[in-house]
Amino acid sequence: MTGKTPVTGGCQCGAVRYVISGALENPHICHCRMCQKAFGNYFAALVGTKKVDLKWSKGEPGFFRSSSIAARGFCRDCGTPLSIADDDSDKIAVAIGSLDHPEVTMPAHQYGIESRMPAFERLHELPGTRTEDDIPAEMLAKLKSRQHPDGD
Amino acid sequence: MVNNRFMVADNERFKTLSGGCQCGAVRFRIYGELEKAGICHCRMCQKAFGNFGVALVSVAAAQVEWTRGAAAVFRSSSIVARGFCAACGTPLFMREDGDPHYEIAIGSLDNPNAIGAMTEQSGIESKVAWFDAMATLPTQRTSDYRTAGELQRLKSLQHPDHDTEHWP
Repeated sequence: MTGKTPVTGGCQCGAVRYVISGALENPHICHCRMCQKAFGNYFAALVGTKKVDLKWSKGEPGFFRSSSIAARGFCRDCGTPLSIADDDSDKIAVAIGSLDHPEVTMPAHQYGIESRMPAFERLHELPGTRTEDDIPAEMLAKLKSRQHPDGD
Repeated sequence: MVNNRFMVADNERFKTLSGGCQCGAVRFRIYGELEKAGICHCRMCQKAFGNFGVALVSVAAAQVEWTRGAAAVFRSSSIVARGFCAACGTPLFMREDGDPHYEIAIGSLDNPNAIGAMTEQSGIESKVAWFDAMATLPTQRTSDYRTAGELQRLKSLQHPDHDTEHWP
């Protein structure tokens, strides 16, 4: 489930863009409390590659050192969490949701399950609606996306 | 086996909740009752959070107090503002223009389990195909894949899951 490369991605506003020219490795989700807080979510979805195979093609992320051994990249202009890498590793992981086509990879593993939220197992059973059914017609008419398109 | 560290009694649900970003530059408190909670799969939430299946809980804006710092805001569309920490990136909320509510990022709460039951999924037009099977993937605890040496060297720089007088 490692798809074809190169793959591209970036933050929501488009200030930071990247290209991955090597293989995608170890797609996974992580429930650890540090990923929860960094991503503001139940879990993080991440896919790895070699550091040398990831090029920041536009702008540069800000980095926050979330621990003594790892740094997390994010967009300073819109906040999108983009990456995490251990200092002494030759690998870096990018946030799957930041890929232009997140469907090129598929998580195969769950890490950090000591913090997995009890509700996680049932999320997919909740009733669902489409965005256009959720937003009143007059709001939908006014809605103009400012998100960077899903491609360079 | 889940970690019970974040579990609270049900009557705690309606008391004060605290939360904030990973680095602690932005902190908030929520007073009183929470409204509906759910996950959103829409492509805008995916990209904003770098994730899929974004967990949000609705809270009246008047019940939210920003107790440290202020969220930076990106207008992701003509009708929506998204708050985040400019120092570490943590997505904190989204808010539609004119809506008296914040949609608070549940993972940014110090006790994300305090929100109680999630009731809905939205934006399912962009739901990724593998989402429904995620809970069945093989699992590991952090201590299973971090080496003893790494764990010894690992010193968290994340803000603790409670309010602090001073940080860092």
